[in-house]
Parts: sequence; C-alpha cells; structure tokens
Amino acid sequence: MSEPAASREDARAQKTSRLHGTLNVLGVYALVIALFMLGCLMPGEFLTRDNLLNILRDIMLLGIVCVGVAFITYSQHYVDLSIPGIMALSGIIAVSMLPYGFVIALLSGIAAGMAIGAVNGVVIGYLRLNPIIWTLAMMSVLSGVIRKAYGGKQVYPDAATDAGNAFLNLYHSEVFGVIPLPFAILAVLALAADFLMRKTAFGAQLKLTGSSYEAARMTGVNVRRVVAAAFVISAAASALAGILLTSFNKVGAQYIGKDYDFQAITAVVIGGTTLAGGRGSIFGVMGGVMVIALMNKVMSLVRIGDFVIGDFQKNIVLGAVFILVVGINSFSRRKSGLDDA
Amino acid sequence: MTDIGVALEMEKVSKRYPGTLAVDSVDFTAYAGEVHALIGENGAGKSTLMKIIAGSFDDYTGRTLVNTAPVRLHSPAIARANGIQMIHQELSLAPPLSIAENVLAGRLPSRFGFLNRSALIAEAERCLQRVGLELDPLTPVEEISQHEAQLVEIARAVGNNPCILVMDEPTSALSRAEVERLFTIIRKLRQQGLAIIYISHHLPEIIELADRVTIMRDGKKVATKTISEITSAQLVELMVGRSLSDLYGKRRESPGEVKLRVEHFSRYGFFHDVSFNVRAGEILGICGLAGAGRSELARSLCGIDPADYGDIWLDGEVATPEDYTDAIHAGFAYLTEDRKAQGLALRLTVAENALAAVVPRHCVAGVYMPEPGEALLARLVERLQVYPPDPARTTGSLSGGNQQKVLLAKWLATEPEVLILDEPTRGVDIGAKVVIHQAIAEVVDRGRSVVLISSDLPELVGLSDRILIMRKGHIIGQMDKARATESAVLLAANGEGELQPV
Repeated sequence: MSEPAASREDARAQKTSRLHGTLNVLGVYALVIALFMLGCLMPGEFLTRDNLLNILRDIMLLGIVCVGVAFITYSQHYVDLSIPGIMALSGIIAVSMLPYGFVIALLSGIAAGMAIGAVNGVVIGYLRLNPIIWTLAMMSVLSGVIRKAYGGKQVYPDAATDAGNAFLNLYHSEVFGVIPLPFAILAVLALAADFLMRKTAFGAQLKLTGSSYEAARMTGVNVRRVVAAAFVISAAASALAGILLTSFNKVGAQYIGKDYDFQAITAVVIGGTTLAGGRGSIFGVMGGVMVIALMNKVMSLVRIGDFVIGDFQKNIVLGAVFILVVGINSFSRRKSGLDDA
Repeated sequence: MTDIGVALEMEKVSKRYPGTLAVDSVDFTAYAGEVHALIGENGAGKSTLMKIIAGSFDDYTGRTLVNTAPVRLHSPAIARANGIQMIHQELSLAPPLSIAENVLAGRLPSRFGFLNRSALIAEAERCLQRVGLELDPLTPVEEISQHEAQLVEIARAVGNNPCILVMDEPTSALSRAEVERLFTIIRKLRQQGLAIIYISHHLPEIIELADRVTIMRDGKKVATKTISEITSAQLVELMVGRSLSDLYGKRRESPGEVKLRVEHFSRYGFFHDVSFNVRAGEILGICGLAGAGRSELARSLCGIDPADYGDIWLDGEVATPEDYTDAIHAGFAYLTEDRKAQGLALRLTVAENALAAVVPRHCVAGVYMPEPGEALLARLVERLQVYPPDPARTTGSLSGGNQQKVLLAKWLATEPEVLILDEPTRGVDIGAKVVIHQAIAEVVDRGRSVVLISSDLPELVGLSDRILIMRKGHIIGQMDKARATESAVLLAANGEGELQPV
C-alpha cells in the first residue's frame, strides 16, 4: 500500500467513525418511527387516547430511571442492579413518612434512595468492587430488608389525610393543567442531565473516566468521586421514579420496580450509550426508552388466533434485543478499530 | 552453519497501523541452527516484525516461507502449527498451576478423557531436562523464582518441538549468572538445529551470543551482518543512523534559583531518604536501572502515590501534595511512561485529551467555557506540530509520535512549574523526538523546572543539566553535564564508577 493511498484510507476511516456516532442516534429515532408506524398498522386500539397515554406513562417512568442509569453506563460501570430495590424502598419510605407531611415524605423517599446510591458509590467508586456483583448483592439485601421491616405487608397511603391524598394524586397531577407531572419531571431531568454531561467539568471528567479510567486518574481527575457521583445520581432518579410509581399504584410494596433494571440498561444501550463507556448522549437514551416502550405495546397488540405475546415472551424478545444490540455494537466497533480492545 | 537450510524467509513484508507504516517491506531470513539477533531503537519496528512471525496479524503484506514452503501466518495457531514458538518479555505462565501443567498447556496427555498424570509428569520432566532445570514438575509456578519461570517458559516452547524460536528480551529480568545459564541452553538448542530469533537492546549480549544480526530503523531493515565482522560501535551507528546534532533542543537561558526542594522523601519499599534540588530553568535527569524507584519517586512527588516521610518545597513554600489534583493545582505535572494505558483515552479526540487537565480551570461555577481551550489547543497543536492538525480526530488513529505529542500537550496546557517527564520519547519516531526535545527546552527557558526520567541514555545525557543516579531506591550521587557521558552514567547506575555527592 502506498503512503498517499494509506493516508486517504485513514481519513476515510476517520469520517466513518464520526458518522457512526450520528447514525447511531438517528438510527434509534428511525426505529422509534418504524415501531410507531407498525403499531398504527396493527389491528386494535393502538391509536386510542388510552393506549397512547399508557405508552407515555411507560416512557415517563422508564425515562426517569434511564436518565440516571446513563451516568453509570457512561462511566463504564454498566448498570445499577439494585434499581428495583431502590424504587421499592423509596416508595415505601415515602408512604410511611406521610404522617409527617407530604414534602417531608417525598424528601425522605428520595434521601433513602440516595443513601443507597451513596453506599453503592462508595463501595464501587472508592473500594473498587465490581458494580454488577455489588449491586446484585445490594438488591438482594434491599428486598430482604423491605420484607423483614414490613413483614411482607404492603403499605397504603391514608387517603383521609391531606398528605395521603396529595401523594395519591401526585402521579396524576398536571403542570399548567395539561402536561402530566411525571412527563414534566422527565423533561426537566433530561435537559439537566444533558447539560451536566456536555457542558460541565463533571461531564468532561465523567467522559474521560468512562473512556479510560487510568488515563483519567493520571490526569488528576478524582475518579473515585466521579464514579460515586454517577451512582448517587442514578439512585436519586430511581428513587423519584419509585415514588411516582408508588403513587400510581396507590401502594408501596416490595415488588414495585421489578424489571426496571434490565429494561433501563437495554434502553440505554439501544440509545447508543455503549457498555464500553464514554459514548452516548441523553438524547439517544430517550430514543432507546421510546423504543422499549413502543416495543412492549406493539407486542401486546399481536393477536394471531389464540396466540398473544405475554410477559414471558416479552422478556425473551427484550433479552434478545439486548444481546443483539450489544453484540452488533462491540463487533462493529472492534471491526472498525474504534475500540482499543 | 548456513548450509543446514532456511528455516524462515520473509520477502517484502509490511504492516501498517493507522497512521504509521510500522514495518516497511522488510526482507528477513533465519537459518536453522543459528542465533539471529534483531535490534533497533524503540519504534524501529522489531516487535511488530516479531508479532508478524508469531501470527498476530492477518493483514500484513508480503511473502512468508517456513522451511521453504509459503505460509500465511495469519493466526497464532497457524504460526504454532508451522513450528514457530514465541517467548515473550512478560511471562505468560499461569501462577497457580504446576510447572507440568504450564509446560504442557494445550496438549495435556489424557486417557479415556481423564488426565494421565504419570504421562504428564514424565513428559514435563523430559521438557525440563532440555533446558537444564531440575525442579519437581508438580511445584506451582508461583513458588519458583523469576529466572526459573523464564526457563519453564522456554521448556514449554521447546516441548512443542519448534523449528523457529523467537525470544523477546529474555534476559531483562535475569542476573549475570542466570544469563550465562540461559545462553548455555540457547547454544544447546542452536546445536539441535533450531533457528533462534533473539530480540534485545543489550549489545554485549548480542555480540556474545548471536551468529548474525539484523538492524532495523524506522520500520525498515538497515542491514544484516555476520557478528564476527561488526563491532558494538558500528551496530550503534547503524541503529541510530544519523547525526545527533539536531536533538536535545536549543537552550538560551541557564539555570537560576532553586525552585523545587525535596528533603528526606521516602516511600518504604520503593525509595528512601531522597533529597535534592531543582533550579528554575534546569533539566534534572534521573538515571537508574529498571526497579531503581525512579517512576515511583516521580509519582509520589506528584501525590499520585502516597509518601511515608519527607517534604517538598516549591518556590520556598511547603508543597507536599495531598493528592494528584492538589499537586496539579500547585504546579506539578507528571507525564506517564505508559502512554496507551495511563496517558491518553485513545478513543477520545485530540482536543478532549489535550485539554483534559485544564477542564477545571476553564470552568465558571462548574460550567465549561470552550473559548480559552480552543485558542490554547490551536497554539499547542501548532507548536508541537501534531499531524494531522485536526483537533476532532480520534487520538487512537494518530501515530505513536503524534500521540506522545498530544500527551505532552496535555501537560504543557497546565503551564506547570515543575514538569516531570517519564520516558517522554518512548516508542516515537525521530521527527517527533526532535519536536518534543525542543518543547522541553522551551519549558525550561521560561524559568520552569523539568525532571527527566529516561532509559534512552543519549537523550538523558544530551538533555539534562545534571543527572541524579538512583540505585535500589536511594540516590547515590550526581553528575554534572561536563562529566556525564553515556558510559559513565550507565556504570554509575550499576553501582560502579565515581560520583559527586548531591
């Protein structure tokens, strides 16, 4: 290969790699549109007000969780598997604290979640334990603690009190009389997270940490604190989603938040935030969330004779999609030499 | 010897990495029954050539013939099947397993699907005998010494009945007596008709052991010579192949007041009671063998690793750092020796890497302001002649020399008072070396101090105003510019020769 030809090839590879990032995000939204159109073509009630509201609800809660998880994945620490536990715990704590006032209840719920996030952050960031193993253990501990503390009982907000009433209406309240509150929260969180990631010192340091932990450390970045912060941010978002979900279900229970861990990481990865860290955007993550929500709904509408797609089958599809996306991503990046592995 | 036959022949072999031609149409022939040394400076392409032989690449160009049969060495398995065995610089043994299991890894004898223990021991003993090692084959590898492990590694390679054995710096961790033992074994293997390709930096070893030597420079083969017709000096000339007058930068100012003062600085087990000064506008070299504690000292000076005792003064004020962030703030910078793993995030852009250390400074209330960074980056890219001059390029696609420039740019961006450089030109081409040396000269000309750690002796001697000699964690003396020659410094690092007190 002659020198000029080779350097042309370098330039081409460079362009391809820049395109790769853009295409990834556009690809997600193309998938969103495709799924939406597929839904419209399905016989049944896809384009009804109730169904669209249902989809919006799925997007809202999963989206709030994902905004947080994105920070963990971005920092190359994959995911927090204790998310369902954090969601359940913060919901239950919030309900239990309602007698002390509505605001105090909300704050205690979020504080409880963040405390768990801080423990995760210290153990994973400072003591460098494997994030998957540690949060898996944390999940197990949390579900045990909740069962023990509440004796397996569910806790109900007391609708007779003002605070209880406010809590039950929390999920269904609206901002400016039109926008559902959870959606407004998601929008504000997503914008804030995007700003944090792209425009602040913390974001730059998070990106460096996620791209090369050692290089970040040797640049004077306090990598331990950065990783710990990612887990606290994620836990705060999960806690918020947990409280909203508890309000919607009108009950605090140990099973609330089930499956959110895997759905969240799948949405984040579909959205172009690779498990290798340091890549992706909140905009892409939101696309991933929409894909998951739409996929779930479209699958529910499938009816061929007696055959319907139930929860088990959905799990199979979701798992397959996750494997496919992660597989294609690592393969294509290794092929194009973008990753140093 | 040459009448026995050609074991390995390579014709016009080339290998490209993104941005560099690491091996450029090299012809190479190794005969059965010879020790063929392969030498060259860092980045000359010898390790890439060796990897081609070992089957690490499936995209090299040119012809390769093993025992006169054309073979495409596109995977390590193909290389092994053709009788090529490799002994790496870093040992690749599994420490918890026994010697026997390591030696016979991948071909454990079995009977009815179960491990045949007696055959395992017998075969392992046979292999160990060939390298003159008398150890119980059932000893775990973690319980034997480094040089015994090296021999176990050779036993494993030899046990596969290779016709070509590639050895990469096999003596780097061995004592003189152990080297002698290894050489006896290598000579015995040569007698048995193996072609041995021997890579080393150590010229006396090559003169002693090799039959022929191939010299590489900048990816190309310079020459292949018979050892009997060449001297060490001629080898060096062929390796370097240029006049050295352009190197080591042009300095205008001479050193001024004391800037950095280090007293009784210790980290137990690494360096002990280290005291020295560095003046403004001075380049202080630190010379020592591998394991002397040079990098460890540098890392503790910057607060990357904790120190146990001692103090540091910067411009007359106590500046013993709490942690690295603190040290950077105080005006320290440490350029790591490990560019790929610790220096750069290879998949981020040139801009992201070069500005990584100044991000906190360019922030107002935590929000990043892009403008000052852009101007700074443009200046650095121009001054260090980063090629291609495109800040949005992925750093990993740059050549080694340009990556090193980006790493240096990261620390020049912080305008450090004390710049500590650990192997600043490791594995870079000569053009980048000149630029980096000039940049270092400019730093001290602006009244800053540089501490230079380098195993590249000509560079260390050429750049430094003064050289501290470090040995086994202690500073044993110093040499000023007038007395520091390459051989004097090397002798001193080995604990011989005369030194001035610090």
